Amino acid sequence: MPSWEDFKPFIVTGLALGGVYALSGVGMVVLYRATGVLNLAFGAVGAMGALLAWQLINHNGWAEGPAFLFCILFGGAVTLLYGAIFGPPLSSRDPLIKAVATLGLALILLGVMDLIWSDKARSMILPTSNNGFEVSNVFVNWTEVIAMGFAIAVMTVTALFLRFTKTGTAMRALANDREITATLGVPVRRVEAAAWLGSGLLSGAAGLLLSNLVGLDATTLTFLVISSLAATLIGRLRSITVTFIAAIVIGLVNALVTPILSISQYRDMTPFVLATIALLVLSGRRGSALSGRAG
Amino acid sequence: MSAAGATTTRSAPRRLRLPRLDAGERVRAVVILALLLFVLFGLPPLLSGYWISTSTQVAYYSLVALGLGILMGRTGLVSLGQIALLALGAWVAARLFFATGLPFPLVLLGAGLITMVLGVLIGLPALRLSGLYLALITLMLAGAITVALTATNFPNGGGGFLGHVETDRGAADVRRPLIAHGDTAFFRYTVVVVAVMFLIALVHVRAKPGRAWAAIRQSESAALAAGVNVTLYKMWAFALASFLTGVAGGLLAADSGQLFITSFPTSDSITLLAVVLMGGIYSLWGAVVAGILMKLLPAMLNNWGVAADWLTIVFGAGVLQVILTAPRGIAYQFPRDMARLGRLIYGLVGRARGTPVRERAG
Amino acid sequence: MIEIKDLTVRFGGVTPLDKMTVNFADGTNGLIGPNGAGKTTFFNVLSGFVRPAQGTVTAFGDNLLGMAHYRRSRWGLRRTFQTEQAIEELTVYDNVLMVLEHSPKDSRGNRDEDVLGAINFVGLSANPHARVGTLGAGDRRLVEIARAVVGSPRVVLLDEPAAGLPDEETERMSSVIQKIPQEIGALTILVDHDMSLVSACCAKTAVLDFGKLIAAGDTADVLRNDQVKQAYLGAEEVAA
Repeated sequence: MPSWEDFKPFIVTGLALGGVYALSGVGMVVLYRATGVLNLAFGAVGAMGALLAWQLINHNGWAEGPAFLFCILFGGAVTLLYGAIFGPPLSSRDPLIKAVATLGLALILLGVMDLIWSDKARSMILPTSNNGFEVSNVFVNWTEVIAMGFAIAVMTVTALFLRFTKTGTAMRALANDREITATLGVPVRRVEAAAWLGSGLLSGAAGLLLSNLVGLDATTLTFLVISSLAATLIGRLRSITVTFIAAIVIGLVNALVTPILSISQYRDMTPFVLATIALLVLSGRRGSALSGRAG
Repeated sequence: MSAAGATTTRSAPRRLRLPRLDAGERVRAVVILALLLFVLFGLPPLLSGYWISTSTQVAYYSLVALGLGILMGRTGLVSLGQIALLALGAWVAARLFFATGLPFPLVLLGAGLITMVLGVLIGLPALRLSGLYLALITLMLAGAITVALTATNFPNGGGGFLGHVETDRGAADVRRPLIAHGDTAFFRYTVVVVAVMFLIALVHVRAKPGRAWAAIRQSESAALAAGVNVTLYKMWAFALASFLTGVAGGLLAADSGQLFITSFPTSDSITLLAVVLMGGIYSLWGAVVAGILMKLLPAMLNNWGVAADWLTIVFGAGVLQVILTAPRGIAYQFPRDMARLGRLIYGLVGRARGTPVRERAG
Repeated sequence: MIEIKDLTVRFGGVTPLDKMTVNFADGTNGLIGPNGAGKTTFFNVLSGFVRPAQGTVTAFGDNLLGMAHYRRSRWGLRRTFQTEQAIEELTVYDNVLMVLEHSPKDSRGNRDEDVLGAINFVGLSANPHARVGTLGAGDRRLVEIARAVVGSPRVVLLDEPAAGLPDEETERMSSVIQKIPQEIGALTILVDHDMSLVSACCAKTAVLDFGKLIAAGDTADVLRNDQVKQAYLGAEEVAA
């Protein structure tokens, strides 16, 4: 059994990763609550943004700052475009169908990414990864701090936004009942567009941070979304706070298992294990009766 | 007091109801049988080794597609982890093969049953909650199985539970059954097994489970009100899909001999979903189309030096198109598209010839 | 006899059923009330889709609420819905067979006869092996009735069975419903807005308004009741 000293550096990586999962999870939950769409292409969009940034820096001579900004904006633009085209015609369909549709987007992006960049190993180091500070004998780089800090910021801002702004309240109303909200004169399309855009920007940011914390590889980045999805599932696709906490826990557990050599190879099963436990608890509580709406 | 017929005819025990075939269906059965015979005996002489091997893959991937198609088409449930279950089935088959001296059909059966049990165990908590949760948990399962198999690798004659030994230390192949050792022979064997599995699926669809699934698709509450134990039948569909996938895994194991986790990328589960949707989830034929899309087309593109990624992009667009244009769930799309394509070609040919083409309605 | 006592349903901030207490006798009973009165909620409680906050339902001496929803059909509860629920992909025969194979009250006996018997009972002239999707609206509604009467049910709940049908189909439906007590022997509760249908089929009727029971008794008396008229007039004109 590894010692406390062995675990310490993984607490930092765990918190940083968990932070990115958290901001991804929050992005997905907000979008889901506003539009009923769980964007399974969230990771793929971020991956493509990161690869584009890499391309711009290494082949087109862009400076890092504008390239990173491009990545984030790309995420917002592609997601918004998808939402504008495929949101309205599918708006009355079951959430499952809407989620499956986003898989279409994911496949397209995966195909494009593989076509252009194929599997070669690449790296894109954010300038913040080279500097940092020491806390209790562990080196913490600024990227990790940004990941964690950004996650907290996103969660706080989102919570405040949803509660106190007009658009935010409109989003909450939409999540509750789309039809009634529309009849109240809320500009539904515009509010949804805001949700798509916001969630898209977050996917770009997540892609950027993950490409740094994990690696710049289309498939890996695309399917890291599984960890964030586990968090959203634990949050019942409803609670931003629970999603946030779950994501941090997933990131932490995943990282902390690394030094435990006997199971280290299986650490990436964490999202599945935790999600299954959550599901068992949930389904146990619900029992077997369907709850119905008043007839 | 009860409806006519309640005066019990105690003398006649209830006979096993075989599905009745009317004239149209009898014709179709003959056509299918003819097609099967052609594939078994007429096709192999026409194909080179590469294409026989590809056709074998088409056959057992059709089986995986059949499982997913039944799940989606009959109960509206989505699994994003079928390829991981395929890998699991292959693992179980390999382990059984090396650990026991069981004849190959029993290995296949074992792979099917064990995969079925795992599928049901995973699916059960999610089945009662919502379709979206099930899709999510299967996606996570896919990731988990991939991680686990990357760590444990596949059995290849080694000892211990995992049965894996480094390749330079005497790894063995999963061997094909003695009667089907060569590629052509194994192709025929696979086709026969797959045909039997399709038959099992057909029997399900035509009998009590199929009727219950149809009721569930129409409306879960009406199904419940009619006495259908909805959770049980959803689980049954999930179990059947997992069983079929496990058997396919066994066939794959014998086909490849040596198994590697890289043959089962997570993205394949998504691709499978796409081709199943495009092939048409309501008809069992859709599964065959899906198998062709998934394994034959890439082989053809490969042959012509075109990157298979273009197919991935097309499949992604296919998903969007199918979902957009199928209003009440997703059914009958491909035959309709093929009909439209046929009319388009007919029209183009007519125009090229300079003859006026009359527009057919609808 | 079905005894309902203090049945209350609360949902969100609304109380769709409020201490409903009424007995339904053998034969065909009407249940009427303006839109939103709680009639479908009541059926949903009986079907098991909605859990009441309090109250009991005792049907022929059995505690209905204690049974899991899909088991109630096996007990002998059948129901039709406001929206069409006949399974379009299946044949008429299979539609009725499906109900029978999931709720056999008498598992011996010839299923084929039971299915055809139910189809004949509703007077469906279409080929039993035709797909329901190819039938007209009136025939589809009759298929739903056939599903509701097959297999010796004890209680049949009909939720606006003639909704959306033209007058002559409604007539057909009415004569079929009137046959149920004698030929099927099930206790029937009919919810509908069509007062002539209710008058023709139901000896007794109960009236709900805002979740509360406001009248119950002989149908003719109930329809003349001032409070009932008020309840309807409050929302719309009533064609008495």
